[in-house]
Amino acid sequence: MGVTLDSLWLGFSVALQPAVLWYAFLGCLVGTLVGVLPGIGPLAGISILLPITFGLNATNAIVMLAGIYYGSQYGGSTTSILLRIPGEASSVMTCIDGNAMARKGRAGAALCIAAVGSWIAGTFGVIVLTFIAPPLATIALKFGPPEYTALLVLGLVFLAYMSTTSLSRTLLMAAFGLMLGCIGIDPLSGHFRYSFDIAELGDGIGIVPVAVGLFGLGEILSTPSHQVTGEVIRPKLRELWPNAKEWRESGWPIARGTVMGFLIGIIPGSAHIISSFLSYAVEKKISKHPEEFGQGAVAGVAGPESANNAASTGAFVPMLALGIPTGPVTAVLMAALMIHGVPPGPSLVNDHPEVFWGFVASMYVGNVMLLALNLPLVGIFVHLLRIPYAYLYPLIIMFCVIGVYEVAHSIVDVWIMLIMGVVGYALKKFSFDPAPLVLGLVIAPIFEMSLRQSLIMSNGNWTIFMTRPIAGTLMAAAAVMLAMSAFSAFMARRDWRAQMAEEVKE
Amino acid sequence: MRPHFSFGSLRSDHIAGATFVVFAVVVFALSGDLPFGTLSSPGAGMMPKLLLVLMIVFGVALVIGGAASQPFADIEWSDGAHALMVVAIAGIAITFYQTLGFILTMTLLVFTLLIVVERKPLLNAAAYSIGLTMLAWWLFGKALKSPLETGILGF
Repeated sequence: MGVTLDSLWLGFSVALQPAVLWYAFLGCLVGTLVGVLPGIGPLAGISILLPITFGLNATNAIVMLAGIYYGSQYGGSTTSILLRIPGEASSVMTCIDGNAMARKGRAGAALCIAAVGSWIAGTFGVIVLTFIAPPLATIALKFGPPEYTALLVLGLVFLAYMSTTSLSRTLLMAAFGLMLGCIGIDPLSGHFRYSFDIAELGDGIGIVPVAVGLFGLGEILSTPSHQVTGEVIRPKLRELWPNAKEWRESGWPIARGTVMGFLIGIIPGSAHIISSFLSYAVEKKISKHPEEFGQGAVAGVAGPESANNAASTGAFVPMLALGIPTGPVTAVLMAALMIHGVPPGPSLVNDHPEVFWGFVASMYVGNVMLLALNLPLVGIFVHLLRIPYAYLYPLIIMFCVIGVYEVAHSIVDVWIMLIMGVVGYALKKFSFDPAPLVLGLVIAPIFEMSLRQSLIMSNGNWTIFMTRPIAGTLMAAAAVMLAMSAFSAFMARRDWRAQMAEEVKE
Repeated sequence: MRPHFSFGSLRSDHIAGATFVVFAVVVFALSGDLPFGTLSSPGAGMMPKLLLVLMIVFGVALVIGGAASQPFADIEWSDGAHALMVVAIAGIAITFYQTLGFILTMTLLVFTLLIVVERKPLLNAAAYSIGLTMLAWWLFGKALKSPLETGILGF
């Protein structure tokens, strides 16, 4: 404990330097803007600014980019509450009750509860990260290829279990994503796979063009401007403070959402999206007045917003301690660290303590900055949201092209973005969730490498995944989850996930 | 009695599942020269081929269970024209991006989207596209020092 506190002190000595504070503020500001603007998510924001960080040191770069990530979780609630359009994927649930509160004249209270809940959850997440990540990194030194394989299998199965679509759809998307991840040079044998003599495809398909195409461009393609007719509700500054009843109603949902979100966040998957869905379902289930959900229930805002922030912080635990990305955003953050010569993983804490602890400390500071940014500046965000969508989406397309092209100056990446935009459009039409596809793509290189290394180690014996204790435990957990998912599908029961899917569609 | 089939009975999962099955089969055929290897020495083709088989299995599962999905005819395609135009305009812009450079390409991209897709007034579209591009050029090229593409006209 003492060592951790000493290390945290070192971290604050780094994080409170003017340059680091400036980049943390920049990241939080851009992240909030990215979260507020519908159609552009944290991945696009991080991608656009990633090339700019090449000239910065590792600490400043990761502080700024991470600020965009958790900042977007704060900003996404603003659009959800004021416009009933999710500014960011994880803010979908906030649309329901947040906007309902706004229509009752409680927009300010909803924004304040969302911001405070996000701050509490984010701070809690950072505190737990502070104490969990170093010992986890020590345990992770015992991880070998079988353990990594098992952990990634668990992540995929967990995603399939938590998904609101059918098991076969989710696993199909995950297999498709893993398949896309196989494009390029095989790292073990040097064979070119599916590159069709295109030199740029030799390095494989990047996460940035795929994710920006699927989530950014795909969304724009399926949203003609005449369909975006939301009225922007403008709260007055003096109405920002919730009343005593609203504070009381938000307390436990914030606490539950925080813990739930963090625990989900540490497992590979689209954690911040799943966490908000799960929090909403739990709050509705245990509420004494479930009929209020959908009509402006405070718990329907407090829980999901806390959960998605806690999950985004929890996602840093496997990224920093194990070197495993939990989704496309953490994958790009890992790439940023590697570009700066700081490989994330078990050795990060010992080999680069100033980067690790500086980053952790900056998150404490960043969460305070975001609380200060989101409430007083809500008036500015309202003006931003008033930009007609017909003028907004060309701007977003331009930023997507800039962001994707600037990563590697490859026009092939931009073409991939466009193709994936079309794919994303089609997937939406046929009600497929693209998140497992992106997760498959993200983990494909690590998954294949660790799988093949495991088989080489065991001389082709698949039981290696069951005979090693940690791998066996993870595989058993995955098997249980898969069985539960298959059982629900077989019984064709409308379980809580299917009910959630219907509510979101409404 | 002959079984009656009509396109009206097609469900979205039938189409989607069949599409993935066909895709996986085609890619599998293209994977012929990738060595599968052995379990103790997996080759470059093992993972892709296993995944393609899984995609075929899940695709078939979708087709078989497709009756529960929504009818294909019920899928809303009213945004199709918008999507097609945006893709076409973006595709042309990407084709000429490295030739014409950032400023010209982005200005024309935004202008064309506003005129052709959104049917905005000419003057408004011109002012917005030029202003936005110059702002983006200043922000990324000058303030953030991110190198932007220069075209054959020198800018």
